Amino acid sequence: MLKEIFRFELSYRKNRAANYIYFGIVFLMSFAIVASPLVSVGGAIGQIKPNSPFVISGLTMALSYVLMMIASAIMGVAIVRDFDHNTEAILFSTPMKKIDYLLGRFGGSFIVLILIFSGIWMGLMTGYSLGKVVPWETDWKEKEMLPFHAWHFFQPFLFYTVSNLFIMGSLFFMSGALGRKTIVIYTQGIVLLVLSSLADTFLGNLESKEMAALLDPFGSRTFDFITQYWTPSEKNTLLVPLEGVMLYNRLIWMGVAVAALIGTYYGFSFNVVRNSLIKRKAVPVKGIVQPDAVVIPAVKQVINLNTHIRQFIQLSVFYFKMVIKEIPFLAIVIVGMLFLFLSATQLNQLYGTNSYPTTYSVIELLGGFTLFFLIIAIFYSGELVWKEREVKFNLINDAMPMPSFIGLVSKFTGLIIIYVLLILVLIFCGIIIQVSYGYFKFELALYFRSLYTGTLAFLALYTLLAIFIQVLVNNKFLGFALCIVFFILRSVLGQLGLEHNLWRFASGGLGTFSDMNAYGHYVTPFNWYQLYWFAFSIILFSVAVVFSVRGSEAVMNMRWKAGKLRLNRAMVIFMITTFSVFIFAGAYIYYNTTVLNTFTKSDDQEDQQEEYEKTLKKYEFIAQPKITEANLKVDIYPYDRNFTAEGYFWLKNKTNSPIQDIHIQNSPDDNITIGYLKFDREATIKEKHEDFNYFVYELAQPLAAGDSVKMSFKTSFLTKGFQQGGGNSSIVFNGTFFNNQFFPSLGYNENFELGDDDERKKRKMKPKERMLERNDPRGLQQSLFGDDADHIRFEMVVSTAGDQIAIAPGYLQKEWKEGDRKFFHYKMDAPMCNFYSIVSARYAVKRDKWNEVNLEIYYHPGHEYNLDKMMQGMKDALTYYTNNFSPYQYRQARIMEFPRYSSFAQSFANTIPFSEGIGFIAKVDDPEKDIDYVYYVTAHEMAHQWWGHQVMEAGVKGNAMLSESMSQYAALMVLKHKFAPEMMERYLKYELDRYLRGRAFERKKEQPLELVEGQGYIHYQKASLIFYALQDYIGEDSVNAAFRRYNKEWRFKDAPYPTSADLLKHIKKATPDSLQYLIHDMFETITLFENKTDSVSSRELAKDKFEVTLKVSSEKLRADSTGTETNLPLNDWIDIGIYTKTKASKDSLVYLKKHKITKKENTFKIMVKDKPRKAGIDPMHKLIDRHSDDNTKIVVSKK
Amino acid sequence: MQLIIKDLNKTYSNGVQALKDISLTINQGMFGLLGPNGAGKSSLMRTISTLQEADSGSIMLGDINVLTQKEEVRKTLGYLPQEFGVYPKIDAVTLLNHLAVLKGITDKKERKAVVEALLHKTNLWAAREKNLGGYSGGMKQRFGIAQALLANPKLIIVDEPTAGLDPAERNRFLNLLSELGENTIVILSTHIVEDVKELCTDMAIINKGQVLYKGSPLDAIAEVEGKVWKKRITKAELEEYRKNFNIISERLIAGRPEISVLSDQSPDASFERVAADLEDVYFTHIFGSQQTAVNS
Repeated sequence: MLKEIFRFELSYRKNRAANYIYFGIVFLMSFAIVASPLVSVGGAIGQIKPNSPFVISGLTMALSYVLMMIASAIMGVAIVRDFDHNTEAILFSTPMKKIDYLLGRFGGSFIVLILIFSGIWMGLMTGYSLGKVVPWETDWKEKEMLPFHAWHFFQPFLFYTVSNLFIMGSLFFMSGALGRKTIVIYTQGIVLLVLSSLADTFLGNLESKEMAALLDPFGSRTFDFITQYWTPSEKNTLLVPLEGVMLYNRLIWMGVAVAALIGTYYGFSFNVVRNSLIKRKAVPVKGIVQPDAVVIPAVKQVINLNTHIRQFIQLSVFYFKMVIKEIPFLAIVIVGMLFLFLSATQLNQLYGTNSYPTTYSVIELLGGFTLFFLIIAIFYSGELVWKEREVKFNLINDAMPMPSFIGLVSKFTGLIIIYVLLILVLIFCGIIIQVSYGYFKFELALYFRSLYTGTLAFLALYTLLAIFIQVLVNNKFLGFALCIVFFILRSVLGQLGLEHNLWRFASGGLGTFSDMNAYGHYVTPFNWYQLYWFAFSIILFSVAVVFSVRGSEAVMNMRWKAGKLRLNRAMVIFMITTFSVFIFAGAYIYYNTTVLNTFTKSDDQEDQQEEYEKTLKKYEFIAQPKITEANLKVDIYPYDRNFTAEGYFWLKNKTNSPIQDIHIQNSPDDNITIGYLKFDREATIKEKHEDFNYFVYELAQPLAAGDSVKMSFKTSFLTKGFQQGGGNSSIVFNGTFFNNQFFPSLGYNENFELGDDDERKKRKMKPKERMLERNDPRGLQQSLFGDDADHIRFEMVVSTAGDQIAIAPGYLQKEWKEGDRKFFHYKMDAPMCNFYSIVSARYAVKRDKWNEVNLEIYYHPGHEYNLDKMMQGMKDALTYYTNNFSPYQYRQARIMEFPRYSSFAQSFANTIPFSEGIGFIAKVDDPEKDIDYVYYVTAHEMAHQWWGHQVMEAGVKGNAMLSESMSQYAALMVLKHKFAPEMMERYLKYELDRYLRGRAFERKKEQPLELVEGQGYIHYQKASLIFYALQDYIGEDSVNAAFRRYNKEWRFKDAPYPTSADLLKHIKKATPDSLQYLIHDMFETITLFENKTDSVSSRELAKDKFEVTLKVSSEKLRADSTGTETNLPLNDWIDIGIYTKTKASKDSLVYLKKHKITKKENTFKIMVKDKPRKAGIDPMHKLIDRHSDDNTKIVVSKK
Repeated sequence: MQLIIKDLNKTYSNGVQALKDISLTINQGMFGLLGPNGAGKSSLMRTISTLQEADSGSIMLGDINVLTQKEEVRKTLGYLPQEFGVYPKIDAVTLLNHLAVLKGITDKKERKAVVEALLHKTNLWAAREKNLGGYSGGMKQRFGIAQALLANPKLIIVDEPTAGLDPAERNRFLNLLSELGENTIVILSTHIVEDVKELCTDMAIINKGQVLYKGSPLDAIAEVEGKVWKKRITKAELEEYRKNFNIISERLIAGRPEISVLSDQSPDASFERVAADLEDVYFTHIFGSQQTAVNS
């Protein structure tokens, strides 16, 4: 029997066109993703080859995840089919056994499913082999491929896709068999999706990563978790083995799947009618009238506009009620809410520390519901479009006297009512979240302004679209599939060359909200884009109305025949009007983005960059004078988003020979216009490169060596209309922040070159060196701030709107008002670097003093939360740095808040612009547990006043080690003296994780610290670990002494500038001979350890006398720039530590000592006084170790 | 008011021709549409109910062109499809009230009165607050009848309305239809001859998309009066009789076949002449004669 049912299932499926379509979809998607520029979605960037096992596995997993909908369609209907087609009564009365029926159906469907999904490896293989001949991907030939390896395709398919199919298939099969309704299957799919995205949320959190990896039903987070630290060379060679977390994850979910099948067997009943769970009481009947005696009263039938309005309202409410009564709907909403509340436990986390639940952060959190909204929109659009036909009420309904558009319009409106109410519920949830954090500043207006504009509009647009798709394709499931295809298409439009927002459906969102600048200048384009997309969607909707099925005709030409009759005068006028609005809004947007402003496609942008390099690279190192003074008057008009700058630079010829040509590179920003640029002596323009804003001036009299010339200029920044992508966020209504990059600079700027090697390869350009070699004499002549200047004299008068304060480096000389504008005159009394910022906003100010230094924080009123921490951070930093490095060079230090369009803080001479997003709203609850990154960032930026401003380093490889890394170290030391060691440990754990992840995504080559070339994961994260370990090994004082000597040697010097070798020289001097190897390991190479504790036991020899036996293993590895590792002999000092439990049940170190390790396996016997709880090797993670969790183990007591 | 159907043709996309040159003139009163399953009755009724397009031909309801002025038709239409379902999670009062709003009964009191009257009339009053999902086939059918009668329709189209009703319900329903008054066109399709005989002043028999007969039931019976002969035979003889006689119907009575034969004269002495019945007319047209469609 089983065999027959199984065979029947196969032959049934064989004749279903849908299965072939599914296979086609799977195959084509797999093929297209490889044989197109999209292959990078699998991670094929930089050094990772397009057909590396990592990319193939990633694609295989991603595809099986994305296409899971097909699994629900195949497995879900295996049983539901019988109920849908009403064949269950016939089938269940035959003498077949339940087990045969279920297993046969399951087995047959599962085999079909595997066959369909085989499209993945077939598509991928075909894609890789045909990639070089497809006409649209011309640069395929350039791609470096690894040799073909079939196992790389089959391993992920067999291990992960097939297991996923089994897991999902069993669950879908169960829900179909037990739920007996299609909708139950979909709902379950949604729940799984949520589980998986929850795993995603928690994967970001360092402490719960492994848990998330275990629990993801699709296993794709598990894959991410396992490969997170894989270096490019590992990604090119390794497959994810079925072991460890992956094995457990698969076992857990396979177990769930088997349980689901067993549950299906026991839960499934052959009874056609099921007993209802809730028995209703019979309603007592009263007032029965003999039917014959009843006379049907005559009624007035009125059909006019009012009636149609009544009908519309009636139906809208009717559909609204219908949807909210749906159990799946409630399930989606409840699951969505749960998701929100769970996500709310980690609000805007940075280093595991939460932020205050300001209304905008909560609104962003509520954005997590968008997915559920979209599911509701797409799903219930389909359900409602099909509702009447599904319950077979369509013929009655369609014969009602109402215009055809009312049906669809009221379905749309019913959904809109749902969204409106759900948003209200969401706002309520948001407030609950805020209350639960003890935060009571509810900005209801902001909730309404954000959610009832952007979110609601977005939903309305997608609902209109989904209804259009459903009506036109006239097949519910195909409609759903097309909606998903549409999403995918929309997300890859950019890669297909359609970059303008006019192509991207529902584009032009409201942008980032900032407490300082609200929605600022994003509002105007938002309105226009909404007008444009609504007009578009309404046209689609009108087409849907014309073609909607009314009655029993489903064939397209018949629908058109019926539809033509609906195209009455009013309808045609409506459609023409809407179309005009669409064209008008589109034209207006086009005018703003591409006529008033320049819209450059990324390809054209890259062409221009290539051209720039080809034309002007020859001037890169041409001798130029240096700026020695900047004296400017800057007028900011924040409410027009304009500014003008007028004044002069003094340029001095510091070379030994005369200079005749002065090369001026103006800002390439579109909004910049140069009013004039002239020299205090005669000069003519010798070369003009308008496209690159590059001009060569020839002085009539060459500038003699040591001589200076005054260059005066006026430049204006003018905002015209709005731009694609929101436009500049530097000059805004409230919170302007820009720096001297908008002003003229000298000579070729290599930052404008194409940086992406893949792109350069396509254009047959040599890979770009990120930085000059460390000993390049040209590099030693220029500082990290560029080759325009050494130190400059600085003076600036800034004016701004009357209600704002404007700040530039230097000390305030004078402040005055003229009309409705405010003026500030700043002057720096000592030479400073050529890097200065200008900010302007409606600030409140907090002032304090540290010794003779004025401390000021300019902040947005309402953001008082962390001002004390920042103030304390400045003071503690000043104290530590002054005591250990050198005196502070200024009489003032200022922090200025700027809008959260960027999330960083940056140090300029005596000024530190600090983003609203990274500290002003941080919520450090428990100073013992939460990492106080506000304090930390403040200390880091203060340190730059020394490392970067007191000592400028050369612009060569390794430079960031001298500014960023040294500041990391300095801030860490301030932190170390302020907080408990446990917090340092926690902080360093985050740094380790970010370093290891950073190197996994290295696109060119990983450098050792001393030669770092702009790689943040090295000069910030790795540097934190290394310097922290260094001061642990050689002592804080020794490191500080080295820093002090370095400072003394280089402080305030013009070119030549120091390099990392100059610092290392001092560090080496401060390091004892026995530890010199550390310098090589830490700074000059990439060195990793695999430290592991295999077992720990203890024996109580006497009272307060415990003998602890540790068996540990160590490996030392050296990695090359791609991450290929080789083992090194051990001869290292490594910590052995033993913890006991204190009365407050906290771990406390009772033993910590460095032992010399010379071989892999080692055993230690150590005596301690307190009862040991855990012990291990390198317990505080001072060395870089990819598996830092296995360093310690709980002690086993032995008699 | 008359409903005039002229040369109506419809071929489905699968090639089946559902309607072949159908022409009918239907007056006020009850009109019966008789035919076996698949004869095209429902196709014709859907077309009249504005729910299906015709390939050619015309349908006029008074001055209204049914094929193009659909809105006008729907205002006066009461339609009960042959096969229909309901929203399962809604009770009868709510749905009927809902439909009354859609029908344009804007006065709330009137709406309430008519909804209640119809629920009484269709004997659903006791079950009015029960979810329609729990209705039996007969109850659902009665609900369908109730909704078709909302808003005093002038054109009532009921497709196989008595299917699924028990005899008592059927009687009540037929009475109800007959009460609807003279100034209404009621088109009733059925394959049950009795329904037509009892109610209709006018009728048509259609099969395979063609009109085989149109006229009054009485005229139809008169046509075959005196020509119907019956005989009870054994099963073994059946084949023989089929060959030799123009059998219009065979049925089993107590396990033995009884055949009816259409013939001007007595086929042979063993046959007994019986009074003609509408059923005989029906079978005559469907199976008995080689007659082709009647031309209008």
